[in-house]
Amino acid sequence: MSAPEKRPHVLVVDDEEQIRRALRSILTARGYDVALAASGAEAIECSLNRLPDLMILDVAMPEMTGIEVCRELRNWFEGPILMLSVISGDTDIVAALDTGADDYLTKPFSTSELLARIRALLRRTASRVTPPPTIHAGDLEIDIARRTVKRAGQEIELTRMEFDILSYLAQNADRVLTSRMILEKVWGPEYAEDAQTLRVHVSHLRKKIEPHPSSPRHILTETGVGFRFASSEPSD
Amino acid sequence: MHILRYLAKRHGYFFAAASVLTATAAFLPGRDHFARAQWALLYLLVVGLVAGLAGVRPALGAAGLAFLLWNFFFLPPHNTFAVHDSKDWLSLFVFLVVAVAMGTQTGRLREREAEALAREREMAMLNQFSARLVSDSSISDIAQLLMGEVAQITGARSAALLLADEEGNLQEHRSCADDAGELESSVLCIAQWAQAHSKGVGLPPITRRSDTDAAGWPISVDHVQAGASTHREDLFIPLQTIDRLEGILYVGQRSSGGPYRVSDVRPLVAVANQTAAFLERKRLQAASVQADALREADRLKSTLISSVSHELKTPIASITATIGNLAEQDVEWDKDKAAHELASVQEDLDRLNSSINALLDLARLESAAWEPRREWYDLADVVWAAHSRIPQKQRSRIQVSLPEALPMVFVDVTQMARALENLLANALIYGPPDSAVLLGASVEEGAFRVWVEDEGPGIRPEERERIFEKFYRGRSSSQSTPGTGLGLAVAREVIRFHGGRIWVEDVGPRGARFVISVPTEGTPGPL
Repeated sequence: MSAPEKRPHVLVVDDEEQIRRALRSILTARGYDVALAASGAEAIECSLNRLPDLMILDVAMPEMTGIEVCRELRNWFEGPILMLSVISGDTDIVAALDTGADDYLTKPFSTSELLARIRALLRRTASRVTPPPTIHAGDLEIDIARRTVKRAGQEIELTRMEFDILSYLAQNADRVLTSRMILEKVWGPEYAEDAQTLRVHVSHLRKKIEPHPSSPRHILTETGVGFRFASSEPSD
Repeated sequence: MHILRYLAKRHGYFFAAASVLTATAAFLPGRDHFARAQWALLYLLVVGLVAGLAGVRPALGAAGLAFLLWNFFFLPPHNTFAVHDSKDWLSLFVFLVVAVAMGTQTGRLREREAEALAREREMAMLNQFSARLVSDSSISDIAQLLMGEVAQITGARSAALLLADEEGNLQEHRSCADDAGELESSVLCIAQWAQAHSKGVGLPPITRRSDTDAAGWPISVDHVQAGASTHREDLFIPLQTIDRLEGILYVGQRSSGGPYRVSDVRPLVAVANQTAAFLERKRLQAASVQADALREADRLKSTLISSVSHELKTPIASITATIGNLAEQDVEWDKDKAAHELASVQEDLDRLNSSINALLDLARLESAAWEPRREWYDLADVVWAAHSRIPQKQRSRIQVSLPEALPMVFVDVTQMARALENLLANALIYGPPDSAVLLGASVEEGAFRVWVEDEGPGIRPEERERIFEKFYRGRSSSQSTPGTGLGLAVAREVIRFHGGRIWVEDVGPRGARFVISVPTEGTPGPL
């Protein structure tokens, strides 16, 4: 978009020639510096040669799947990873996010959505300093240290679980957190499978912090995957 | 009178002797009042009575006894068998002949009558049985009925219906045994032998020429020939049709013991034959249902191919044409025009994508590979999940109106979202361009509702059921609007899995409202 001083380097990993071609054309046209890899092994090779600012990684690849690549990369690569999958709510996507991917898109995706996600991910890494002790989102004010939440200046009472969920989501704003990640963080590893419980708590939480709980603005559901905290009002 | 009939029937000779002796005792005091020939007439009356009640053989006994007693007590000299008057010899001789003749005739008449009565009862029973067979009963109903009849006819302690499967192996379908246990292995062995050889076992041979049902009588061997180690008294009646043995009707020993008589077995054979015909009909029916199902599957396949090839090829053709046009060097494309062309390509691609999704859904639903995995979800999340799947360009036409808060519901979120997405996609297609589509939800007692409202032409009352059928396209739309005719079928299937209902209703002034209603299952349990 806006011509950055340093063009962000994006590595696209997909075994499908057509997708690689399309992504290169979309991204180069917007001023990104694009590299292509056709397999997991190639992707690791490429990123060792030149560390990308962001990686777009296909989940379903022969030989080394996207999940395996992601796991491998996370040993030393800290940049954002955006996963691509064919089926929405795919278990592979969840697995990839659990191993450390930051976001995902389902094919076929629209160009504008892809670009918006890439911008959000790059923005987040650019401002990756210690998360602020107080997070503002719309009329919501979350004070992590004091464990208080205010809506339009009015303090809201949350249970311990609800606050933990909210603060974890808010500290990772605009990033998809899988149910497993939230459960492990808030309840502990032995509760990792109980997505149902999480949904019930989120439902309660929404009734307290959302202006319209049935049309949430802050805590968005990624069906079959997890939740995402929207720091700004959704664009659509 | 009842006791007399019973005695006459079960103990004929005793009854005959008792009758004649009683009569003699009654006659004796009046010995001198009547002539001796008149006593003979009274004795004939008694013989006639015995014949009428007890049959031929007891009547003959009674005749003989009466002959002796008349001679002994009433022909002078009294109380001896000696006869003085030679004319009395003639009387004696005539008495014997008449008594025997009368006893025989009357007895025969009585036996015929009894036989006719038994036949009539058999006929009535068979009629009733066949009436049940003709009415559309299940095999197990009939088996139960059959066991009841068998028990009534024979008083057998156990009975079983053994049906042959495809390979000719017998499966016990129903049995009634007083010890309620399983059939002995020897019974199964003999039954299997009978099945393999298409013969009855243990049936009495038909000897009487008068027996008219010899035609339906199965060929039968005795138990030892059928591989039994000892002599037995049970029956194995084959359930025979023209080209196949449907199974074996096993009837255990009779409760009173003793071998079965032809007259006992005849109704059993008749019921067995009728049952066989019934079983054959059932088998043929099942085969024809299967054939129908195959034909239907065939028809669907060809509809699928034609519908799908149209649905997939049209957008591809359109995309190819547009892109080809844009790629031509001979025209200068200004930016706006090119954008317009590309927008139509985008639309075609959305259409292709949704067609492919519908096909995949239906295939998965029908192969039962898509078992619903129901869990607790926020109803709002389900609605928004469906909303988010509509291509972004169309999404702005959807007006979502939800109550402030919605409850948790127990659903398979992927399936439910797909069903709603299909309703939304339909509404967007059938409503006029740029018209609004309304998406709403509500909760009532025991159920939640989600509805999708459009401003399209509406659905005619006669089509309101059919539009949920596979490949059925509303008449007003058939050619002009794209669609595989699968979206609503998938939606209905999903809602059915959830035990809910889906229907369409009119909204004024124009438009259709598709409503789903799914029972809620309480609230999520303790967490």
